[in-house]
Amino acid sequence: MYLWLALLWIIGWGVVGAVLIPRVYARRDLDVSQAALAGAMVGAASGPFGLALLAYFTPRLDWKWVVVPGAATVAIFLTAFAATYPNNLCVSNSAFVLTQVVNGLVVGIIYGLMALGLTLIFSILGIVSFAHGEFYMLGGMFVYYLTQEWFPGLHPLAAVVVSAVLTFVIGALFEVLFLRPMNTGQVERPGEYAILVTFGLSFFLQYTTLALVGANPKKVPRYFDYPRLAIPGEEGSLLKVTPGTVRLFEEIVIPSPRVTAAVIALILLGLLMWFLYRTWIGKALRAVSQDRQAAAVTGINPNVMNTLAFGLGGMLAGLSGASLVQVFSWVPWVGTQAAARSFVIIVLGGMGSLPGAFVGGLIVGVVEALGAGCVPDPHRAAAYIPAYGMLILVLVLLLKPTGLFGREL
Amino acid sequence: MIELEVRNVVKHFGGLQALKGVSFRINGPERIGLIGPNGAGKTTLTNIISGVIKPTSGTVYFNGERIDPLKPYEIARRGLGRTFQITRAFRRMTVMENMLVPALALHPTANRRALEKKATEILEFLTIDHLAREFARNLSGGQQKLLELGRLLMLDPKLIILDEPFAGVHPKLRQTIWDFIVHVNENLERAFIIISHDMDTIFTLSKRLLVLNYGELIADGDPEAVRKDPRVIEAYLGEEEEEVAA
Amino acid sequence: MNRNALWIWLPLGLGVVVMLLAPLALVSRPYIMHIAIVAYFYAILASSWALLAGYGGQFSFGHMAFMAIGAYTTGLFAKFVRLTTVPTGVCPEITVGSYTLFLLNPVTAGEPTCLDIAKATMPAGTLIYRPPIYVGILLGVLLGGVFGFLIGVLVLRLRQAYLALFTIGFSEILRVALNAEIAITDGPNGLELPPLFPKGVTIFGMYFDATSKIPPYYVMLFLFLGSMVFMHWLASSRYGLFFRSIREDEEAAAALGVNIVRYKVLLFVITSMIAAAAGAVEAHYIGVITPNILLILQMSLVIAMAVIGGMESLVGAAIGAILIEFALEFLRQNITIGPWTIDMTDWRLVFFGLLLMLTLRFQNNGLIYPIIQRLTRAGVTEEIAARRRLVPETVQEGEG
Repeated sequence: MYLWLALLWIIGWGVVGAVLIPRVYARRDLDVSQAALAGAMVGAASGPFGLALLAYFTPRLDWKWVVVPGAATVAIFLTAFAATYPNNLCVSNSAFVLTQVVNGLVVGIIYGLMALGLTLIFSILGIVSFAHGEFYMLGGMFVYYLTQEWFPGLHPLAAVVVSAVLTFVIGALFEVLFLRPMNTGQVERPGEYAILVTFGLSFFLQYTTLALVGANPKKVPRYFDYPRLAIPGEEGSLLKVTPGTVRLFEEIVIPSPRVTAAVIALILLGLLMWFLYRTWIGKALRAVSQDRQAAAVTGINPNVMNTLAFGLGGMLAGLSGASLVQVFSWVPWVGTQAAARSFVIIVLGGMGSLPGAFVGGLIVGVVEALGAGCVPDPHRAAAYIPAYGMLILVLVLLLKPTGLFGREL
Repeated sequence: MIELEVRNVVKHFGGLQALKGVSFRINGPERIGLIGPNGAGKTTLTNIISGVIKPTSGTVYFNGERIDPLKPYEIARRGLGRTFQITRAFRRMTVMENMLVPALALHPTANRRALEKKATEILEFLTIDHLAREFARNLSGGQQKLLELGRLLMLDPKLIILDEPFAGVHPKLRQTIWDFIVHVNENLERAFIIISHDMDTIFTLSKRLLVLNYGELIADGDPEAVRKDPRVIEAYLGEEEEEVAA
Repeated sequence: MNRNALWIWLPLGLGVVVMLLAPLALVSRPYIMHIAIVAYFYAILASSWALLAGYGGQFSFGHMAFMAIGAYTTGLFAKFVRLTTVPTGVCPEITVGSYTLFLLNPVTAGEPTCLDIAKATMPAGTLIYRPPIYVGILLGVLLGGVFGFLIGVLVLRLRQAYLALFTIGFSEILRVALNAEIAITDGPNGLELPPLFPKGVTIFGMYFDATSKIPPYYVMLFLFLGSMVFMHWLASSRYGLFFRSIREDEEAAAALGVNIVRYKVLLFVITSMIAAAAGAVEAHYIGVITPNILLILQMSLVIAMAVIGGMESLVGAAIGAILIEFALEFLRQNITIGPWTIDMTDWRLVFFGLLLMLTLRFQNNGLIYPIIQRLTRAGVTEEIAARRRLVPETVQEGEG
């Protein structure tokens, strides 16, 4: 009951603030870039009182005006939640909450890796690839077929590497065949074309896979069985490892395949950062993303960079798929959800922002984990998982289309 | 009646002062050139008059009505037409369809045949009537400029602001544009504000010149007086020096 | 001009006549009738999406969401709304005159509804009616328009990829909610709907029962033809010009006096209502609707139909949709080449996806629209060439 009242308050005054404050600021000819977001947050947290003060004094809106009321809104929501469902695991069991959060962070790293690919493509080519989920799916499928069907006994990590190469090649090939004409003026309206043709690729790859491998879920056993380990000892251990799980402080439980996937993702992130910031090609890529023309003048071939970026982007999605195929069962349409999640992440983080994609991945991971664990009706909790992200997407696009780290439009 | 009054218009972009209190009046079917070095605020001023951006302070009156709070389409319907620096024909529409958009926006229930007849007359003057059924994207760059001028006239504007009408246009078509401006100005009695970087053209074509520099109106008068104005000479010489230095 | 008009109207008129008379030949082949009904359904969706995206430049991926709003509105209306002559006293209800309109409460299977409880106290002979189907369909169309308005207002500032992402988000949230709220929507199992004519229908003295394909065929056909006529009228009126000018260049259109906000929102409202109408009728015809119609792949099917037909042409998109729907159905048979059997249920969609990509890449305007364009614009080039010969004189005059 309290929860619904709190939600009504948050949504109602949030909407009022988001609509009203930009108008007030615009009328007084002040900067309105943060007004919708800050208005929504102040409204959600403090209702008419805060909004009245904000509208009267119209202070300069910097990030504090978003973060502080944002935190207050979350606090209101959590308090109301706790008051309504005192017996909910998320209220009564702190270990459960911690487990959810840590699991969310671990999965969030991999989400971030995948979204990084999408944001890389956006920053270089200026397009959103709607086929990103299919690269994720292919990454996992390749690992399955390499290790389980074609070369049984192949080390999973070797399969991950091969699958990365294959997804890179598919991405690069597609870019050369279908996206390059956009730059040479052969395509009438590039923006619309890019949306539709990547959509077509998604359709094509998904059904090709379905036709080739069928709809039965594929499973890959976990890559590594962890050694049994307890530090400092069996009793009161800080870290306890069994083949299938990692347990921190006796209370936080993480399945070991997720840990493996997260570690792979972190290593890859490190490699990617090294590549982008320390190698000549990486620097050239970043140069193109900042200023196409200037980069072209310095002798960087933008076409090659486009191909490279699309291939790399696809490869990053493929790698996330390859590291998660040991966690989830794999079907040809497994990429749809993952792609949707990547869209959420890059919009949240700011389109084209690399740190944004990573932070966005962590946030979405945690929100999904908490949503799945805390929504009272377990059936609904599971069913609504994909909606949490989409709700974030819709809200960010309405309130702050540049996201957390986006460049100003 | 044609009366535009810009009163003390100021525009800030963040820390940058693009316009620092510009005021002037236009009365009747004048033919005005607006010049100034790059970054002087010419386009900002145009955008404020046509409602694309709002001034930080100051007001704009058109025929006695305050127009600066209005939306661009409302200002357009009150008879204030403009073109953009780059050509913005509706590329995937035919020339005739391009011409009909402003006419129907202005008179939703007008007889389409009558509007087409009017459009054909304008196109004839612009020498592109034979292209009426062609898609705009198939026109040459200069022809697209002509189309833009013709399309603007279908809005029946009292005051027309042209942003670089001669830039990148073939000499033959240039003459057509020139004739068109003079014809509309003198025979149809519409006022013009013409932005151009081409000094020879603008000094000959316009009868009054406004000179902007660093967001300030530094000269306003007939071309001969402006040509001798020391502040104008300084502004332009200053720019040339910079160009040499760069 | 007359010759051109003939070449367009003759085949179109013939096509309409064939569609009108087809049931005579197909009475004994209900399967083909079924494909035709579904094909018209997709044709409505593809052409209304073509109006939204091809004419208006609004690349919405939420078109199926509006379709689903229409379908679920009429489905839920049929499931939950009842009329009775005696107030129930326990259900939420309003009494108008001698009739009472009441809502059933959502229950999990097996539990009694408020009506079951009320029946115990109702006098014998109390009549309980289901309200007519068409009321639900109209409500669905109306609600589609309301949502179209809301989405249209919300996406005013968003362009291209941002708009696509927003509408995907909207569509996904709706799909997830329909899946999750099992007590109301029956979730993934799908919501069952009564047929369009639950008691059958008599046309010109002939009786058709509820399972006959002929009445729904004509309902869908007339909905299709009606919406085509309406959209064609709209597209060739000033609205069509404004929609296209907004697609080409919003800022320039505004500078020429076009009220961008109004026409963009209007476009969303109209196309959403048409999609909702198609969804509502289709749902009653099929008899069940599941949240899976909101899967992005379903949306991409509609988009592909419009693109392959030609999304700048309503007729092109509609013909594309009809041809593709028939092709997809007839390609279901497996192909056997020597020892290999190719399961066409999946491969036909592969070919289709490839066709979509190749069309986009090499035949931007689609495959059907260029044919129509060749017919309507026949002679334009010659006309221009003929009149161009006069031009040099004009230029010389201008120079002299």
